[in-house]
Amino acid sequence: MSREKKKEMIAMLLAGGQGSRLGILTKHVAKPAIPFGGKYRIIDFTLSNCVNSGIDTVGVLTQYRPLELNSYIGNGQPWDLDRLFGGISILPPYTKSKEGEWYKGTANAIYQNIEYIEMSNPTYVLVLSGDHIYKMNYKMMLEYHIETEAACTIAVLNVPPEETYRFGMINTDENLKIYEFEEKPLHAKSTMASMGVYIFTWEKLKSYLIADEANKKSENDFGKNIMPMMLEAGENLYAYEYKGYWKDVGTVESLWESNMDLLDPDVPIELNDPPWRIYSRNETLPSQYIGNNAKLNNVMVSDGCSINGELEKSIIFPDVKIKEGAVIKNSIVMQGATVGNNTALNYAIIASDTVIGDNVCIGAGAAMGPDGHHPEITVIGPYITIDDGVVIPAGAMIEESIIKKEGE
Amino acid sequence: MNALGIIFSYSEYENLRELTKIRTLASIPFAGKYRIIDFILSNYVNSGIHDISIITKINYHSLVDHLGAGKEWDLTRKIGGLRILSPFSTPGSLDNTGNYKGTIDALYKSMHSIKRSMAEYVIIAGSNFICSIDYEEVLKSHIERNADITLIYTYPREGEILPHGAAMIRMDESERVYELNYNKMDSISQDMPVCMSMFVLRKSLLESLVADSIAFGRYDFYRDIIQRLCGNLNILGYEHKNIYFEVSNVTDYMKENMKLLDEQTSKKVFEKPVYTKIKDSVPAYYCAGSQVSNSIISDGCKIEGTVINSVLSRGVIVGKGSVVKNSIIMQDTEILNNVTLNNVILDKEVIVRENRQLVGHETYPVVIEKKSII
Repeated sequence: MSREKKKEMIAMLLAGGQGSRLGILTKHVAKPAIPFGGKYRIIDFTLSNCVNSGIDTVGVLTQYRPLELNSYIGNGQPWDLDRLFGGISILPPYTKSKEGEWYKGTANAIYQNIEYIEMSNPTYVLVLSGDHIYKMNYKMMLEYHIETEAACTIAVLNVPPEETYRFGMINTDENLKIYEFEEKPLHAKSTMASMGVYIFTWEKLKSYLIADEANKKSENDFGKNIMPMMLEAGENLYAYEYKGYWKDVGTVESLWESNMDLLDPDVPIELNDPPWRIYSRNETLPSQYIGNNAKLNNVMVSDGCSINGELEKSIIFPDVKIKEGAVIKNSIVMQGATVGNNTALNYAIIASDTVIGDNVCIGAGAAMGPDGHHPEITVIGPYITIDDGVVIPAGAMIEESIIKKEGE
Repeated sequence: MNALGIIFSYSEYENLRELTKIRTLASIPFAGKYRIIDFILSNYVNSGIHDISIITKINYHSLVDHLGAGKEWDLTRKIGGLRILSPFSTPGSLDNTGNYKGTIDALYKSMHSIKRSMAEYVIIAGSNFICSIDYEEVLKSHIERNADITLIYTYPREGEILPHGAAMIRMDESERVYELNYNKMDSISQDMPVCMSMFVLRKSLLESLVADSIAFGRYDFYRDIIQRLCGNLNILGYEHKNIYFEVSNVTDYMKENMKLLDEQTSKKVFEKPVYTKIKDSVPAYYCAGSQVSNSIISDGCKIEGTVINSVLSRGVIVGKGSVVKNSIIMQDTEILNNVTLNNVILDKEVIVRENRQLVGHETYPVVIEKKSII
């Protein structure tokens, strides 16, 4: 029996990064598993983009603290990725007969999973990172990739000239054919930044991955090694312009900002978009209850919450309890947290399952933050307790419980 | 647990007007994001029963649509799982109409499926009572007390009117049932225990009782098994002491929903997980200028106006300047600007256009049919 099993394109999702600039928020979980936007995790956006683009085979490459991410992904059913042929696979590094090693870089991670990719015998491979917030149709990008006969297509977005130092910049001719890469330049020639979304023709990529692995000096990175090598060899590399909303949530500030973007009608990211739903694993929780003294003003609230305080411009995750007299502004309260009576939060991120007592003040005396757009963000880590009456200054990152001693 | 669950998705004694015109009792929305069937199925699943058959009669499309393959209730199984038994008529029989003459007839015509189960016991439940109950405890008591049939009962709440068709029972001091009567008028009878339409018995006994009744042309489970045989069989009562809701007419439906606005009540109902269909809707959004108090709101709602003492299902939109009071609004219904609603039940996908006013009364809420445009 020879029934040929073949996929046109599969996705490889790099989810092994730590995201160390997120501090306590990524102490226990990988960055893609960070809660976002009321009921989602960051990885939901990329996974939903895949299924909405008709990609049904996704390999998730994990390395840093994968347990919570693994159990969140499960068999992929919430994203419709439990399939007979294909579906979702979690791919941690594994030992081989003689050697076996951690993923050394983004390209090495794919190199170590060549066998996995070949099981689907794909013509094209989509390489993604699991830590960006955006909605994108990869199918249209693939059409472009086929049309231009490229070996590699890189999705790019326009960034302001003063931010080019944060990105891998791409220089192209008028047909968007790439002739040069610049890694985080202070003064870039163009404003086209790589989004970390690549489509490769698999046969080409495979040969370059093997060549790159043979080079002991290589950092085994797509941006630094693979793409420049392909360019040098005279391959066709094209940029694909993306014009929608895209945000890298690599820092506390950007995580806060992109959450707040959801509350801003002028920012083009709409979650309530039935043809392009963002799927997520849902907890079993009843509808939310809004109490007699609640005031809600530009607020997103999820299932299982009980709200009795005053809220303004905030995002409340599932199963959060907010007691009477609490005043929450410009803040994010993650799953299972409790905020006590008469407690004030301003410009704060409260991580999952944390208990904030009564009369607590978080984000007191907020000074302007590093970018000058908004005050500093205060972060309270997960699974901790902040005792009644504690005052936490703006910009602090609290990793352990604050319990008052007797008689204080 | 070694038991098969059998659910009747309809009731022969309900007066839910427009609400059951297009759906069966079990698929009526309840408590915001749920359907009645969610509570009933979750009781089984939380008690470790994963082999469940649902008997349907008419208009059960919405139920099939809601349940799908039973994934969300953890009932997509190789061993057991969820079976929806659509109406069945025995080929070659004289009554080849596809309509059940009564509950026993329904069981008889589903017997091929019931017999296939390897379970020793069956636990039968109707869809008119909503509660959180542990069937493991009930079965334990059934076995310990050597009952032939265990009937779950409760006492009506003080001062509440017993609906027409409620099955009232009388028991001796050892909880043995010796009488069962249907309530024929809206009477207040506090001391008379009421059957919650849940029963436990051996599957083999059910099989022979059903075969026997059919042979004599008897079709009603209450009248022809419980009432007729309570002298011969050891039928014991099992009291459900926790909170419960009964849905048999529109006024009660409204009242029972409103009870969930009490946080203590809702805590008791949701002590154990209640599973429902996942819709992947976005979190609820409260616009600047919205005013919400003492209400249940579900995912996907967008509120610009005022909502007081109300229960909203998923995806409801309340426009600017609109006031929704003491009302139940079902899934994906849209209330445009400057609308006033009081004591109203809006079914799914209704549109209420600008400046409309709908006012019912607590005792007789206005019910607007699915997909109406006002």
